[in-house]
This record gives sequence, structure tokens and C-alpha cells, in this order.
Amino acid sequence: MRRHWFYILLSLAERDRHGSAIMRDVLALTDDELRLWPVTLYGSLDELCREGWIRAVPAPPPGEGDADAGHKKWFRITAAGRRALAREVTALEGVVRKAQRRLAPSGETS
Amino acid sequence: VTPLAIRSYRTLIRWLPASVRDAYGDEMLELFTEQWSAARQTGRLRAMAVWGRSVWDALRQVPREHWLVAGRYSHEESMHTFLSDLRFAARSFSRQRGATLLVLLTLTLAVAANTGVFLLLDDLFFRPFPFRDPASLVYLNERAPKWNLEFTGVNFPDFDGWRKRTHSFDALGLIAAGNFNLAVDGAAERVQGASVTWDLPRVLGIRPILGRAFTAADDRPNGPNVVMIGSGFWRTRFGGARDVVGKTIRLDSAPFTVIGVLPDAAEFPGGVQLWTPLNGDTGQKFTSYAYEGIGRLKPGVTIERARADLLAAQEPIWRERDTAHVVSPRIMPLREWFVAEYRTTGQVLGLGVVLVLLIACANVAGAMLARTSFRKRELAIRAALGASARRIARQMLTESLLLATIAGVVGTAAGWWGIRALLFASPDQLPPWVHLEFSWRIAGFSIGIIAIITALFGAGPAIDARRQGVRAALAAGDLRTSASPGQRRMLSALVVAEVALATVLLVSGGLLVRAYTNLKAVDPGFRADGVAEFRLALPQAKYDDGPKQRRLYEALIERLSAIPGVVAAGGVSCLPFTCHWGNFYTAEGSALKPGGQNPVILTRVASPGYFAAMGIQTVHGRTYLASEQRPLGELFPVVVNAEFARLHWPDATDPVGKRIAASGSKTNPWMTVIGVVKDVRHYGLSEPMRPGIYLPMSFLDSTQSVASLGFAVRTSGNPVAIFPAIRSVLHEIDPELPVYQLRTLQDALDASLMGRRSLMIVLAAFAAIALTLALGGIYAILSYVVGRRRREIGIRMALGAQRGQVIRMVVMQGAGLMSAGLLIGLPLAFASTRILTSLLVGVSASDPLTYVVVTGLLGLTSIVAAFAPARRAASVNPTSVLADGG
Repeated sequence: MRRHWFYILLSLAERDRHGSAIMRDVLALTDDELRLWPVTLYGSLDELCREGWIRAVPAPPPGEGDADAGHKKWFRITAAGRRALAREVTALEGVVRKAQRRLAPSGETS
Repeated sequence: VTPLAIRSYRTLIRWLPASVRDAYGDEMLELFTEQWSAARQTGRLRAMAVWGRSVWDALRQVPREHWLVAGRYSHEESMHTFLSDLRFAARSFSRQRGATLLVLLTLTLAVAANTGVFLLLDDLFFRPFPFRDPASLVYLNERAPKWNLEFTGVNFPDFDGWRKRTHSFDALGLIAAGNFNLAVDGAAERVQGASVTWDLPRVLGIRPILGRAFTAADDRPNGPNVVMIGSGFWRTRFGGARDVVGKTIRLDSAPFTVIGVLPDAAEFPGGVQLWTPLNGDTGQKFTSYAYEGIGRLKPGVTIERARADLLAAQEPIWRERDTAHVVSPRIMPLREWFVAEYRTTGQVLGLGVVLVLLIACANVAGAMLARTSFRKRELAIRAALGASARRIARQMLTESLLLATIAGVVGTAAGWWGIRALLFASPDQLPPWVHLEFSWRIAGFSIGIIAIITALFGAGPAIDARRQGVRAALAAGDLRTSASPGQRRMLSALVVAEVALATVLLVSGGLLVRAYTNLKAVDPGFRADGVAEFRLALPQAKYDDGPKQRRLYEALIERLSAIPGVVAAGGVSCLPFTCHWGNFYTAEGSALKPGGQNPVILTRVASPGYFAAMGIQTVHGRTYLASEQRPLGELFPVVVNAEFARLHWPDATDPVGKRIAASGSKTNPWMTVIGVVKDVRHYGLSEPMRPGIYLPMSFLDSTQSVASLGFAVRTSGNPVAIFPAIRSVLHEIDPELPVYQLRTLQDALDASLMGRRSLMIVLAAFAAIALTLALGGIYAILSYVVGRRRREIGIRMALGAQRGQVIRMVVMQGAGLMSAGLLIGLPLAFASTRILTSLLVGVSASDPLTYVVVTGLLGLTSIVAAFAPARRAASVNPTSVLADGG
């Protein structure tokens, strides 16, 4: 899975967000490491929609404080999106475990 | 004021595919603005960094988005879309059968004309000759301006000098095309062959496929009788047997040993079946210019350098033999020599066909434009029902693709077939290496044409459909009242261009037709009806001296005269339009200054019956009598043509009795002119008359050899009917002599005009197509405009306009377009006739009649084209149109 997609799905897994909120969330998630610039962000959102992993939702959920959020497109992760994200996380877990084993100090090293 | 950073980013966003831009463009810009503004608060530099990163992101992602969007269409779904588009196109065409057929026909004609003409031009000018590195092959000849000759043929001692003293050539060879009498089972056939210098295979870069090539020992005066046979000859006569080397064939009644078999390429330029050694004699006494040279340039040597080299090699010859510098060598690329006579034809055809294609494209574009604007409503409805702009554009493109593909396939096939049918019907007018085989290059060319056509008339409506928003089209309340001014201007411009181009073709075609009819009316100097002609060549081995030859010729003429129905029969060394034998003569009391121009005199030997058989009129004195076959004491009698008399004795009323003698020879006695005959157009009806003389048959008694004679036989009936009798008469005299070039004189005359006739027919056909298309174009635009202006016309009529006025209005509109087209087209035509000049014999490029007829024809066309739309306009019923509400 592409890195952008992973973080976008991860961001939406928490709650519905609009574009600029996703961007800020991803920035926070990655400790300012991954910044999604506008065309990449919306291009990825478009692709994820076509993939069926997220979908656009018309109205902002009640209680949202964002002042000008009303006219923006909001996105929600779909069940398929969650499954895809879970699969990816499981795969990552496996990789992380293997990596940790390899990095763990063994008897032979000085 | 919007900051520059935001404006520039907005521009970038516009480059995204429409689907992405429409969905997210605003938000992208908003997000950028947010970030940029936030950064701006902290400093200019940070803002610039944000701008830079965002722009970089956009520049990278825009192509990717296009790629993704395009990819979505290239899948199965897209194929499905394509098929349904195709079905829809077919249905839409079948609803407008007439208009569609017209467009289809136009395109097919244009593609066919292009394919045919470019197949021919490709074969003529571009397909490489079948030899190794053909670009380095050159053609050598000599020129003699003082003799009025651009090509004299190469003199063997001159060639020998070039061979020894030049350094620019890998190899140099000479060739003399000739025919041989081949003995076959007690009869004889005439086969085409060539005499060549021994190393010609090295020049051409070919090797025998069997046996050996000539050696220097084969190629010398009185060398052995050896022959290399062509591969076709080998297969047909020897069944391709491997043991053919060493066998003997009888050529010109002498045995020749086959030493090798030549590859296919050696048949070049076409039909050459045998090669024999040239046996050139460097010490030859008489100056004969009979050969053609072929050379291969060393790598990197230019034609200019080779020319300078040749001229330097000629220096010693000028010093020793030719002190007056009469003859000088000339050199040109081999290709150039072979295509020289087709150059003008090629240019005219190429230009003509491009004009036809342009006109067709203008016509189709106009038709499609008019069609789209009629379909605006349909498209608007489809858009309202949810079809995207892209989808509609695709539909329009599919429609034009369908038309163009059908036209491309049918047109390519028709063009290929058509050009073969047209040109192979009369094979003599093309160089023999032109085979007009189907080539993928030309197929590719046609595909290119199709692509252009598709783009041309698919793009217009597609863009139109795209630009037109749904609302705009539907909201337009004036759907049926008037065309948009831009569209009408575009349509008018197309029609004007069409008329202008058609004018060029019509004028060119008209001038060629005029030139041709003028030529047909030219008096050839003989009467062609009722005459059969043929040629006979005597082998040196059997008829080795003049008297022997003369006895055979005279016996044959006597037998020919005895054939029932024959009125007169005679022989001549060169029949009209065939060969040339030139000599120089001195005339007593000549008006020509010694040392100045000395034109070559066409010299023929003629029997007494020849003039009667050909119907050549006597101007002064008389022609030969049968009783005159012996020399009259010391004096040869000679008959000259009127041009000869005019040249030497312009003031004499009757040149009979004057004397002439061959120049530069002490042995040739004076000859007395006994008669002057009318000029015969020996070199073709369009060529200038040249001075010529006829020597009597007794010329052969002085052991001069005339190994080949043409015969003319005049009958009271159909000359074709005596062909069998001619053959059997000759067979009785000598079965080893083949009759060849047996045809009627009328056929020979027609054949001499054939190339010109074909060109005229093709160009006239182009002009006819152009005229038809222009007519269609004017008709289409007038019907379109009338259809659009129904409401306006109805109002005018309600306000009291008469039917006549309405009709006049429509007709005047057509005439206006026509006049504009003519105004551009006539000067254009006049300018472009320059390339025709060499073909315009007896008619000037500014021939008023042609221009008047073309103008009249186009004027008439505009009226015919306006007729139906005008009637439709006049039949508008004001009440119903107005009640209709528009």
C-alpha cells in the first residue's frame, strides 16, 4: 500500500475529516515528516474513493467546531477501507517483529 | 488583489483533468491558500518555500492524474463504450443517409486519388533501384550544343579516355540497348538485350547466379560470341536447367555460347534478357556516338567533383580530335536520368492530388460543422441526460473515425486498383521499372491521410461539443433562427477556399485539354488511316552487306504490294516516332554561315513506295521512282523535307536541282535534290520540326549497311486485317526474321500522345471532382443558411418581400461566395500554371478562353447549387413559421 494511502486511511479511521484536516492529522501522525501537498492529497483521496476504501460524505457531523468546514468535502472510511488498513497493519506488525528480532542483540555480537 | 502566488497556483490547477479539477480544484486552491497565508505570517521565505513545494507537487502530479484518467478509459469498459459509440454512429449515419454518403464518397475519392498518385510517384522517384548502393550510380552521356543535341550518346574512344584518366569512379561501364533476333525452332523472335562493356556487372554490383561474367578477353573487337542470359530467359527457355552454361543459342543468325546467368536485377530497366560484350574499338575511324555510360562514384565523391574530373579527362581529346570543343561529357545521378521525362508529370500530379485532398477536407469539415450545429439540440439533450462533455466528444470522434476508416480502406484499395487499371492499360508510357506493387509505405501514407482527416473533422465538432455547456445549448432560444456569426464565417471561408482551389484545378485541367486538342489537330505530315507498320532487323551474319540487304528489302516490298487490298508499300530506315539517325550535310548556296550552328540532319533511307504508303505530300519536284534504284551516274538523288529547304535556302522558291553533300567526307559525292516533301513530325506532335532528308535505297549499294528497316503498308480497308498476310509473306522470304512492332500507324500516332492523354484525363478527373465538391459545398452552406434563416425569411415575407426577392437573396449569397473564391483562385491558377508550361503546346498559360470558360462554369455551378435552397426559401410560409414560434 502506498504510504500516502496508509496515513489517509489511518487518519480517517479515527473519525470523518475533510481534506485540510486530513493533511494536518497526517502531519501530526508522522511528527511533521509527511506533508501531503494539495494535488497529491486530493489526487490520493480521488483514487481511494475509486478504490472503494473511502467515500465522500455530504454533511459535516454535528458538533464539529470548524468554522468554514461546511462547504468542504468530508470523507469517511468504508468497511473495505478498514479491512485494507487492518491487513496492512498486520503485515507491518509481522515486518516489525522480524525487524526487531534481527536488530535484537544476540550472543555472538560483542 | 489576489497575490501572484495564488494566481499562479490556480493556473496550475487548471491543467488537471476535468474530472479531478471539477471535483477538487476549489479545495486544492483553498488548502494551498490556507498554508501559504499561514506561512506568510511567519515570513516571506517560508511562504516562498510553501509555494515552491506546492508547485513542485502540482507539476509532478498533474501528468500522473492525466495518466490515471486516460487509463480508466483503456479498459474493457472503454471497449464497450467504443462499440456502443460505433453502433450509435452507424445509426446516426443511417438516419442521414444522403449526407453521410456524400461525405463518405468525397473522402473515398480523395484517399483513392492520393493513394494512386503517390503509389506512382513513390515508384518513379523514391523506390531504390535494385542495385547495391544505388545512390552512387551515375549516368554518363555527351552533349553537343553546336549540333543542337543535348544527348549525343557516348563515343567509345571518349569513354576509353575517361576510363583511363579519371579517378572519381570505382568503375565505369558502357551499355548499348539493342534487340536480337533469336532463332527458335525454325522461326524467330525478337528479344530485348544489351551490349555491355565487360565490367558492367562490377559497376552495378551484381554477380552471375550461374557460370561466369564477361572478362576483358571477351570484350574486344572481333571477340568471341558469348552471351550472358537473364534469369527470366533462363527459366522460360531453359527451364532453369543448371547445365545451361556452355550451351549455344542463335542470335542474329550466329551461334553464341552461354557463359553465365544474370540475376533478376540485370533486367533493369526492364525486360532486358541478354547481355553480349560491347566489343568496343578504341581505334574506330568514324565518330559514332551510340552508347550510354553508367558509373559508380567512389565513396565520398560528389557529382561536381566527378564532373570536373571528366572534363579534365576530356582535355586531351579536345586537343587532338575535337579542337572545336563540339562534344563534351555530361554526368548526372542515374535516377535523375531515368525520371527526367516524368518530372513535370510528377509535379503536376502531386500538386493536383494535394489540391483534391485539401478541397475534400474543406468540404468534409464544412459538412461536419453544419451537421454539428444542426445536432446541437441532440447533443444538449444528451448532455442534460448526464453525458459528460468528454463522452460526447468521444462520440463525435468515433463517428469521424468510422467515416475515415471506411474511406481509408475503400479509397486505398480503389486507388491502387485504379492507378494500375489506368496505367497498365497502355504499358508504353511508363518506365519499365515501375511495377505499382502494393507497398506498406503507401498504406502508411494512406493511414496518415486518414489520421489527418479524422483529426480535422473530428476535432472541430468535438471541441465544439466540449465548449458548449449543457445550459448554453439548451437555453439558446434561437436554436433554429440563425447560425452563430463565427460558425457562418468559418463555413463561408471553407467554401471560398474550396472554390479557389477548384479554380486552380479547373484552369490547369482546361489548359491541358486545350493543349491536347490542339495537338490532336496538328498535322503529323502523313495520313494515318489505313496504314499498317512494322519493323524488321537483319542479322549481320546472314546479310553482311548493303546490296544483300537491299535485295531482301525490295523483295519484301514487292510481295507486300501484292497482298490483296494493299494500295502502296514502302520501307524507311526510321518510322515516325521511333529512331533517330543524324548526320551533317553541306548545302550549295546555303544561308548558314560556315563554323556556326550546324544542326544535325535527320537522315532516313526511303524506298520509292514509302511516300505514297504514308501519304506524305510532295511540295516540290518528285519523290523516287522505281526506275531510279541505280545511282544516276555520279549523282545520288535526294529528297529533303521542307524544314531542310527552309534552313538552307530560305529564299529559293524551288530548291529542286540544288546540291548537298555529307560534311567532312571526301568520298561522299554531291547529291542532287529532286524533290521537297512535307515535314513529318518525327519526334512527336508536340516537338519542333527538325530538318531531314531521305536517301534512296541505292544508298545501300555503296556497301553502307542499314540493318533495320521499318515498313509502311497502305490498304484500302482495315489495316489490322492484313497483319497475318504480312507475317506469312515475311516467313516465306526468311523464317528466321521476326516481324516486330507490327501495329497500325494510327496506334503509333495515338501511342505518341498517350502519356499526355493520361495526364490530361487524370487532371480533368481531378478538376471534375473539385467542381463537384465545390458545388456540394455551396449547396450545403446555402441549405444550412436557409434552414437557419427560415424565421427571418418568414418575417421578411410577412412584411411584403416577394418570392423573387427571396430567391435573389439566396442566389446572390451563393454568387458572392463564388466570386470571392474566383477572386483568389484565378491569380493563384495563373501563378501555378508555371509548372505546366512545358506541357502547354500551342496554348498560352494565360489562354483567355480557358479562364473565361472556367469562370462561366463556376458561375453556372453557383446558380445550380443555389437552385434548391432558393426554392426552399421561397416556399417558406410566413404564417406557419411565425406561428411555430421559431
